[in-house]
Amino acid sequence: MQIQSFMIDMVRSELEDAVGAENVSIRRSDKVAHCIDYFWLARLWADRGLEPPMPDFIVSPGSTEEVSKVLVIANYYKIPVFPWGGGAGSQGGALAVCGGIMLDMKRMDKVLEIDEQSRTITAQCGIVFQQLEWAANERGYSLMHYPSSLTCSTVGGFLAHNGIGVLSTKYGKIDDQCLNVEMVIPNGQVLRSAPVPKHSSGPDLKHIFIGSEGTLGVMTKATFKLFEMPEVRRFHAYLFQDIASGIAAARDMLQKFKPSIIRLYDEAETVSIIKKILGVEKQGAFMNLALEGEDEVVAIEERKMREICAKYHAMDLGSDYGEKWWDSRIKFFYPDYALDFPKMFGTMDTVATYKDIEKVYWAMKHAVEDHFEGVRFIAHFSHWYEWGCMCYDRFIMDQPPKDPEEALRLHNQIWNAGVRAAIANGGAVNDHHGVGMKLGRLMKEQYGPGMVVFEGLKKALDPNGIMNPYKLGI
Amino acid sequence: MFSEKADKTVNACRFCWMCRHICPVGLATGKESNTPRAKALMISMTEKGIDLKQDMMEDMYECCLCNACAHDCQSGYEPAVFIREARTCAVANGLLPAKAQPVVDRLLADGNLFGESPESKFDALGDSIAGLPETAPVLVYIGETAARRAPRIAKAFLNLLRKAGVEFTVRKDEAPCGAESYDLIGLVSEVQDEAKACAAQIAASGARTVVVLDPACARVMKQEYPVWGCQLQAEVVTATVFVAQLLREGRLHPQKKELGPVTFQDPCRLARDLEETEPAREILRAMGADLREMFLHGQMTKCCGNEILNSHSPHLAERIAKARAADAKRTGVKLLVTACPGCRDILEKGADEALAVEDLFVLLDRCC
Repeated sequence: MQIQSFMIDMVRSELEDAVGAENVSIRRSDKVAHCIDYFWLARLWADRGLEPPMPDFIVSPGSTEEVSKVLVIANYYKIPVFPWGGGAGSQGGALAVCGGIMLDMKRMDKVLEIDEQSRTITAQCGIVFQQLEWAANERGYSLMHYPSSLTCSTVGGFLAHNGIGVLSTKYGKIDDQCLNVEMVIPNGQVLRSAPVPKHSSGPDLKHIFIGSEGTLGVMTKATFKLFEMPEVRRFHAYLFQDIASGIAAARDMLQKFKPSIIRLYDEAETVSIIKKILGVEKQGAFMNLALEGEDEVVAIEERKMREICAKYHAMDLGSDYGEKWWDSRIKFFYPDYALDFPKMFGTMDTVATYKDIEKVYWAMKHAVEDHFEGVRFIAHFSHWYEWGCMCYDRFIMDQPPKDPEEALRLHNQIWNAGVRAAIANGGAVNDHHGVGMKLGRLMKEQYGPGMVVFEGLKKALDPNGIMNPYKLGI
Repeated sequence: MFSEKADKTVNACRFCWMCRHICPVGLATGKESNTPRAKALMISMTEKGIDLKQDMMEDMYECCLCNACAHDCQSGYEPAVFIREARTCAVANGLLPAKAQPVVDRLLADGNLFGESPESKFDALGDSIAGLPETAPVLVYIGETAARRAPRIAKAFLNLLRKAGVEFTVRKDEAPCGAESYDLIGLVSEVQDEAKACAAQIAASGARTVVVLDPACARVMKQEYPVWGCQLQAEVVTATVFVAQLLREGRLHPQKKELGPVTFQDPCRLARDLEETEPAREILRAMGADLREMFLHGQMTKCCGNEILNSHSPHLAERIAKARAADAKRTGVKLLVTACPGCRDILEKGADEALAVEDLFVLLDRCC
């Protein structure tokens, strides 16, 4: 689908007409700025000096109408369109793998309305999420969506892959926090989901848009819940005998109240955390919790929490760890703390019911560690529901092959093994990082004939296949 | 091509997205290239043989060097290190962007951004520097921007010193300090020569204290001169710290005027680089100001554009100033106060009839 050179100027002039000449770029440095995201393979290209696939145009629309015009042009010429928010995704979801238009949404950064009566906030989807959070904070509210990428990514980016924040157990995933979405489809039409997410007016369009990873259209506007700032946020830490008792305790808590944070670490991670807290090595499963809200209510929840932890013979490790963790929770994503080259690494987050989640963890761990020499597998469990939880599994290989092609093949083999183990044992392809280019091939293994739904939507909304091709497995 | 420190910073920043939310340029333009990550990635890929130098250098000049990214970085990296070195590289290799070339030419010829002769520096100050002694315990360093673009700030400041009975002087042949050159073209020999000449002039004045009106000049004297081998015997004090001390000593007696609610733009150099946020607020309190803080204030302050950016990219500087003026307006005030001649000049471009911009010392002079 690479655009023929003789057409470049023709298409460029139409795009400039749609969004203004200053908002269309063919500068090489702009292309480079958009050709690497957080995906390990893309970073590998940059690290080894390989020229990555680049878009032909960088287009920055300033309004829904401009997005609509750009998509109509692209649809006519059958040019691929790759929506780009912050470009901080880990699944290669924003990469322009076959030339075309990189649609950088960050000019669409306006907070459109703060409705204090309804406790909602509406913004354009190109706003960096931290900016939106600060706009809420100025009025004394919060969106309570605090992923580690809060400062890196846009509203549209989070919605596109259906992201999640560290407080999700109490405040929900982004599809719980989002009330409605506006999306432009390739024929230029502007679709809007119902103004509220709870109704019996057919399936909610919002749930078709969120998580579609730019494969159906471009999200341009969204409304979110606002929460009052909690009066207190208090941390607690416990050491359980094993993962199973930690999971059971968290499940019991979710039946009675909702902590904002529950992070249960596997034995490999627990050993190093406990050594930092107690100064000695100790086996078990470490849990870090936070409860928040009105002081009186939290006090009652704490009493219930202690009863449940005592039932499972957990050791109370106080509040210091959690408080320090909260203050430095995103430090682990800065250079020198985050995983980086020369290591090969990936986060295989998945989600399953309480019945299956530990089985999924062990199956993935064995699939990775038993079959790939020199690869470590660590995990923690966070984002809890009444019925199950997320497992944040990471593989790390300290000395991957130096040859980029060999590294790519091994990288994909490890991912295939880990995710297939998850699927086979009741897990999902991914919990909250999305599918992108990285995991598209595994979607059919998850859904089988169910893929017909995605394919039907794709055919109806994007018949020319221009939207973010080679992503999400459709 | 780049120093070891710059290379290390490039390697750290090229795959890090954490500070994009705080970059005043990136927020104003929405351009991916206006992020430290993108700039580091460009340098990294250029060093690995993917040629994009000419385009890349344009991007390197779209940065205020306000250090918001460095302040945010929990690993302590400073993207300004590689951005300044990239600018040096642009000069050395004939890759200066067309928009920056004339400004650099003017700066190297005349020592200021405005293309004005060195001798004309204090023309607008008139009587306010007449009759000053040759030497005094306090030397006031005015700086290029205050002298040439904001003389009323300089005049107000000198008035305050007179009212407080401070024995001071100003060098009528005041040399450029190197702050502007350093930001525009990085640490080249011409910049170090400028700094050495300025340091020698200060030493020759015999002053025990140099009170520096422009925070950008104060920063370079306090933080860069020692590294560049320009040892100053005199103590360098910012104007805000000096005046706050005069108030504490009871040497100024401001009348509390009805200023109405005001907000304060912390100048980046003052708040972030020199970590001075309280003295300006002390001065505002002394005038009885009803201070309403912007959400991003103190060391979290957002750059309003600056004179360097304004000199080659005035439209971009204006967009950044408008964004900051919008922050100020959301506090519900009609008066935005700052304490930096450059900030005052740029913020005027961003403000409108609903928001007045005034300098801290001009306000205080009116109250005393």
